[in-house]
Amino acid sequence: MATTEERLRKIVDDNLEIEGRTKGDALDLDRNIGDAGVPSPDIVAFWKLVNEEFGVDISAEQFAELLTPRDLVAHLDAA
Amino acid sequence: MAVPVSAPWWYPFGAPEGVSVVRVELEPNADREADALTLLDDEELVRWERYPYAGPRRQFLLCRGALRTVLGEALGCRNEQLAFPTTEDGKPWATVDGTAAAISFSVSHSGPHGLIAFAPEGRLGVDVEELAPRRNLDLLMDGVLGEAEKADVASNEGERRLRSFFRLWTMKEALLKAHGKGLLIDATTFEIPRAVRRGAARGRLQLPQLPGVTLQVEDLGTEGFAAALAREVPGARP
Repeated sequence: MATTEERLRKIVDDNLEIEGRTKGDALDLDRNIGDAGVPSPDIVAFWKLVNEEFGVDISAEQFAELLTPRDLVAHLDAA
Repeated sequence: MAVPVSAPWWYPFGAPEGVSVVRVELEPNADREADALTLLDDEELVRWERYPYAGPRRQFLLCRGALRTVLGEALGCRNEQLAFPTTEDGKPWATVDGTAAAISFSVSHSGPHGLIAFAPEGRLGVDVEELAPRRNLDLLMDGVLGEAEKADVASNEGERRLRSFFRLWTMKEALLKAHGKGLLIDATTFEIPRAVRRGAARGRLQLPQLPGVTLQVEDLGTEGFAAALAREVPGARP
């Protein structure tokens, strides 16, 4: 079974366009996606896809505190 | 009073009803980037170094350098007197020698395009988006548009669809930035007025998250990019 990190990477690979990142690259667990040049509508779409994929209901305000993959993985694994 | 640079990489883009808008060029340029580096304070240099990719790092550097110079001129202060703390929600504001400056501003960048808007007071938000083809446009539409907005955008095809989406999105993000919470608010909870969606250059509305405050949103887009400005209209009715 895929880990939470692997599932997040698949969401990123399939949906996000990040300048300088190649599909399949490992996620930098401590890199804030806001610093990575992810366009604003893609950040919103990513938030909604995470809720859909993991069956959770993270609010926009909560998500703003979970912008590194490490924080997001920890939150999802604890849910 | 501002620190001179060898050649500004910004220029006036318009002054809609008391708001000054400056366009900032963000293409790679070693001389401009070297000039901008001399303007940043220590905290900003740390932030600049933290960006993992060259594009976002350059966008931040050139926009912050332009912002410092433009606001320094508007406020009549030296560059080293300026600082930009942020609110709990991440919105930056300006101080001069540690005291809140009497100026509102908003900054946005996308690809090679940057915009800075500033005014003496009031809520203000600006947004710009590069009109680059997107493979995930339907996903983005679902994420940020209301039902009527999606129907309007979906009635277009190809490049018109892309342009229509980013025209609405820049308006919505400019409004969210004017509110102060930005993307902490779900953008699907409000819609751009119908007349504006159908082509009017500007319109007024109130956000459900900001009752009693009328905001005017205005299309600033060009052939090369989508952009919008949102500003508070004191005492106005939507």
